[in-house]
Amino acid sequence: MSIWLTYAGMAAVTYAARAIPLLLLRNDPPPWLALWLKYVPPAVFTALIVPAVVTQMGDHGRVLQMGPAVGAAVVGALVAWRTENAIVTVALGMIAFWLIRLVVG
Amino acid sequence: MSRWATIQQGFLATLVVWPGVAPFGMVYAVSALSAGLSFWETLGMSLIVFAGASQFTAVGLFGSGAHPFSIIATTAIINARHLLLAASTASYIRKSPTWLRALVAFQLTDETYAVGVQHFTQHGGDAWFQFGSNLSLYFVWATSTIIGSLLGALIPNPSALGLDLIFPLTFIAFTVPMLRDRVNLVVALLAALVSVATALVLPGSWYVLTAGIMASAVGAWLARRQQLAQMEPIHENS
Repeated sequence: MSIWLTYAGMAAVTYAARAIPLLLLRNDPPPWLALWLKYVPPAVFTALIVPAVVTQMGDHGRVLQMGPAVGAAVVGALVAWRTENAIVTVALGMIAFWLIRLVVG
Repeated sequence: MSRWATIQQGFLATLVVWPGVAPFGMVYAVSALSAGLSFWETLGMSLIVFAGASQFTAVGLFGSGAHPFSIIATTAIINARHLLLAASTASYIRKSPTWLRALVAFQLTDETYAVGVQHFTQHGGDAWFQFGSNLSLYFVWATSTIIGSLLGALIPNPSALGLDLIFPLTFIAFTVPMLRDRVNLVVALLAALVSVATALVLPGSWYVLTAGIMASAVGAWLARRQQLAQMEPIHENS
């Protein structure tokens, strides 16, 4: 099978995951579903953050790894709370990461 | 606002996630070329599949000679989280025509989902804004793939520089201001626990789905209880 057919398969399964909910949810959702979906963003955002900060890929899946990233994330969270500014948050978080890494290891 | 201005607005609002994406587009290209893919195959995957984490994984699998079906199955597992992102986005733009939602679905990613939701909670849903945001990320992903292919081995490993932290830091900037709302705060704490627990035992990005579904359900339950509690005192006083 050519690499382009593999791409087509990869694109198909990816597009299905992106498109099915977008195409099916078209009418007014029942109130319970609307309320549920309202709280999806904070849940998904957090799920994209925390494992990326406190775990790492090991030989057999993810393992807990409390490194400089944790300190940098805490700094980022404090900066985000005060400034609500993404650029400043990322910049100060990265500086914190490099400083901690310099000191710790 | 005109349609074109809205697309532009979405495109520009997404500049904020470019720094977190561009280095990895370049590195993806370098690792794809070194796994034996041609330039056009490398760029082709970015244009056709357009899903960062699964592209990196696929390159590793191509390099190890994995069977195409296992590559496709792995891609499905990694990208299953988009079901939830798309359902969430759908709740804002469901009034748009079907063809437009089908178009938005093609390029929906973690990053543009976040940019879109942030905009929609303040200004209301708009599929054209989401399209502009998606286009922005598609553009930077394709461009950085090309630049990475050209510069090749000159590019330092961004993970060694800690640049993979830009992604969670960007999402921290999106998320933390939401936590001034108490229900959101509980949802986030719960999502943190569930996502880490899931990430340690299940492969792919199932942790986004488990945490995303369970924590938001608890959030909805808490919010409903608050709504009911606000109606309750009337009965208690009587």
